[in-house]
Amino acid sequence: MAEALLSARGVTVRFGGLVAVDGVDVDVRERELIGIIGPNGAGKTTFFHTLSGVLRPTTGRLTVRGHDLTGKPPHAFAIHGIARTFQTPRVFREMTAETNVRFGLEFAGRRRRHPHDAFDDARSILAFLNLADAADVPAGALTPARQRLLEIGMAFATRPDVLLLDEVAAGLTERELEATADLIRRVRDELGVAVVWIEHAVRALMGVVERVIVLHQGKKIADGPPATVARDPAVMEAYLGGEGGAT
Amino acid sequence: MSARATLAATAAAVGVLAAMPWVLSDFLLSLTISCLMYAGLAVSWAMFSGPTHYLSLATAAFFGLGAYVTAWSHAALPWPVVVLGGGLVAASFAALVGAAVLHLRGAYFAVLTFGLGELVRHAITYFEKSYFRTVGRVLTTTPDGTTIYFTVLAVAGAAVAVAALVRASRFGLALAGIGGDEERAQTLGVATRRVKVAGFALSAFFPGAMGAAVSVRWTYIDPSAVFNPFIGFQTVLIAMVGGAATLGGPLASAVVFSLFTEFLRLRFPYVFLIVLGTLLIVLVLYLPGGLASLLDRRRAPAAEAARG
Repeated sequence: MAEALLSARGVTVRFGGLVAVDGVDVDVRERELIGIIGPNGAGKTTFFHTLSGVLRPTTGRLTVRGHDLTGKPPHAFAIHGIARTFQTPRVFREMTAETNVRFGLEFAGRRRRHPHDAFDDARSILAFLNLADAADVPAGALTPARQRLLEIGMAFATRPDVLLLDEVAAGLTERELEATADLIRRVRDELGVAVVWIEHAVRALMGVVERVIVLHQGKKIADGPPATVARDPAVMEAYLGGEGGAT
Repeated sequence: MSARATLAATAAAVGVLAAMPWVLSDFLLSLTISCLMYAGLAVSWAMFSGPTHYLSLATAAFFGLGAYVTAWSHAALPWPVVVLGGGLVAASFAALVGAAVLHLRGAYFAVLTFGLGELVRHAITYFEKSYFRTVGRVLTTTPDGTTIYFTVLAVAGAAVAVAALVRASRFGLALAGIGGDEERAQTLGVATRRVKVAGFALSAFFPGAMGAAVSVRWTYIDPSAVFNPFIGFQTVLIAMVGGAATLGGPLASAVVFSLFTEFLRLRFPYVFLIVLGTLLIVLVLYLPGGLASLLDRRRAPAAEAARG
């Protein structure tokens, strides 16, 4: 098996007495398309924070292509090719969409190369996302759905190996949801970037990803192809809360 | 304006102002020094606090440190070295303090930087009393008025030029990103801690140099005069009234303010602070983007028309 791009080993996060993430192991390999699901409070977003360096795990290790980045600040993760979006889009509202994308190119993206020409400059990234017409518009003036796209563009600009998407489908209409799922597929297929996608809305995710990881009460309870995971009794119990859970 | 155009305009303005000692009366020249001093202070404050939104009240501390560098070294060292030294001491101090406190934001950062001025003031008072048995110092061998004018002009000109370069650079973009969303900037690869400390130090250099340059006008200095919090407040006020996000705003407002305060101080010595305070309240309430935002508002529809 190929060397993992991003690897989490025994990642645990404690907030006081609460264990939000409990000893999770995950390996993300080249060109993988992974979904992370779990009921509310399962620790999905907290786990994501540790994968991008935003939160330092209480214990456990994080390595990127063999470099130990445990405890390093987020910019180190970005420079090593880990990019992310946030649940509520966090764009630079006062800057134009183009400057928002240029930001990533000027910092983490500056020292990184990507073979695909979609990553050459801010304009081509905006074009890939169908945001070309918004280039000169202040990011704060875009609709929430387009801000979310722009945030993906900012992440692209760091020329990443792994893209972490935090609930990009939340609050989208059915059509927007399809477009997003399509985009995520293209990111992997055309650009060759590995994607880890967290989603609360499970149905949209299951149709796209090739591997699903289920978190429940901070623990990883399943990891495999969507069809297998969907039939997993532990997963059904976690989601339905009943005994056995089957109906 | 592009950075190059701003630099050319700055060079031209400095060239014109350099002729003033032969044109203006002593009174007007001293008024021009006040304008230049506040222009330099406000522009260098806005260099850091404008894009990052870290509200620093440390200007008085940097200014006073520079003044004391002059007091301690002006008799022994060449004048340009003294002024440069004032800037470097202030910048080093800012880097040191910045590394310790720049993780604080908002009111905490503002209060801390204000306390900094007081801390340095008392430290220097104590130091002077215990080692030199003195409260203040008489500056004996001071440069003549024209030299002081040229020094202040050079420091102010350099502040404007550096501010223009910062705005156009990656460094300026990083500062703006920190102001927009610090954590987001970090996840896009900005070493925010380093950038903040560097920005804070750079913005402290000019008030330090300015303090070193203008302190010789006073012939006698003591800590309460050079660590005057009023200098810090006035600087912040000028920059905010002008529009801290712009370069021209603080510059124009420094000139207007210096002339205005001089006028008020001469004509209405008792009410001038009241008028100043009222003005600030009105501006903050009704024009939070500063006077520069008035221009923007006029320009915005024109730009849209041009695009469409």
